[in-house]
Amino acid sequence: MKPFQISHTERGAVQLVQVGGALDMHSFPRLESELRRLFNHGHHRLVLDCEGLDYIGSAGLGALIGFAKEAREHEGDLRLLNVPPHIYRIIELLGFTKVLQVHTEETAAIASFQPK
Amino acid sequence: MPTPEQIRINKTTGKLTIQTPCDGFYLRHIRAIMSDLARQVGFPEHEITMIQMAVDEACANVVEHAYASDKQWCWQHRQPEIRMTIRTESGRLVIEVNDHGQRFDFTSYRPADVAANLDEMKPGGYGIPIMRRFMDEVQYSSNDHTGNTLRLVKYLKKS
Repeated sequence: MKPFQISHTERGAVQLVQVGGALDMHSFPRLESELRRLFNHGHHRLVLDCEGLDYIGSAGLGALIGFAKEAREHEGDLRLLNVPPHIYRIIELLGFTKVLQVHTEETAAIASFQPK
Repeated sequence: MPTPEQIRINKTTGKLTIQTPCDGFYLRHIRAIMSDLARQVGFPEHEITMIQMAVDEACANVVEHAYASDKQWCWQHRQPEIRMTIRTESGRLVIEVNDHGQRFDFTSYRPADVAANLDEMKPGGYGIPIMRRFMDEVQYSSNDHTGNTLRLVKYLKKS
């Protein structure tokens, strides 16, 4: 039961955002604030590294969908990386993996933004 | 400033009651208590995550909507709080989330399901569909004596 943590690093033209702890109604404004700050700086290619995440609620999931939609409107996207198995199972069951790209390797997640 | 010390837990035979101030800070503590209990009852890990998520949504709705500052609460004389009763009976886990804030017509509220929201990439509206999807029974009741109660039931399936 860790508190929510968020940080980010640049990987070329892609922003790698690391999140940890619980992403719930109490913490998701911090995610929104950080992603909004990146958007405001023109960064719309985001990879969210979820390795340290132990919980995500509907507020967090909704925020991811909203930011992915907005990023796509600017030729970018929000893609997920290292989703813990217990969270992956839930988001897959709910259908979120049909609209959000999920990766297991950082290099593949970053490379997925390169033109084919 | 919310602190975990403000959580009141009372355990009696077959029943656990939890009372917390109405603040999103307490949800992670409630989820941890729920997970431990569901694990003790024997639910598999993926169902524990479902129960945890459904309870989290129920409590989040209380924090976000029941005591919203722009609404008329039903029982203004009481401090806003989340009250929960959890019991196991006949192979099922029964969780009641109670508040004394704004009444909500839960039964007739039928939001679009998760798939429809995802088709349109909507950023919200997932909470109640997730509760209905992950629990076997979801019932809401409201009266002047006991306040508003959301009852969530999950059956322990025999393997």
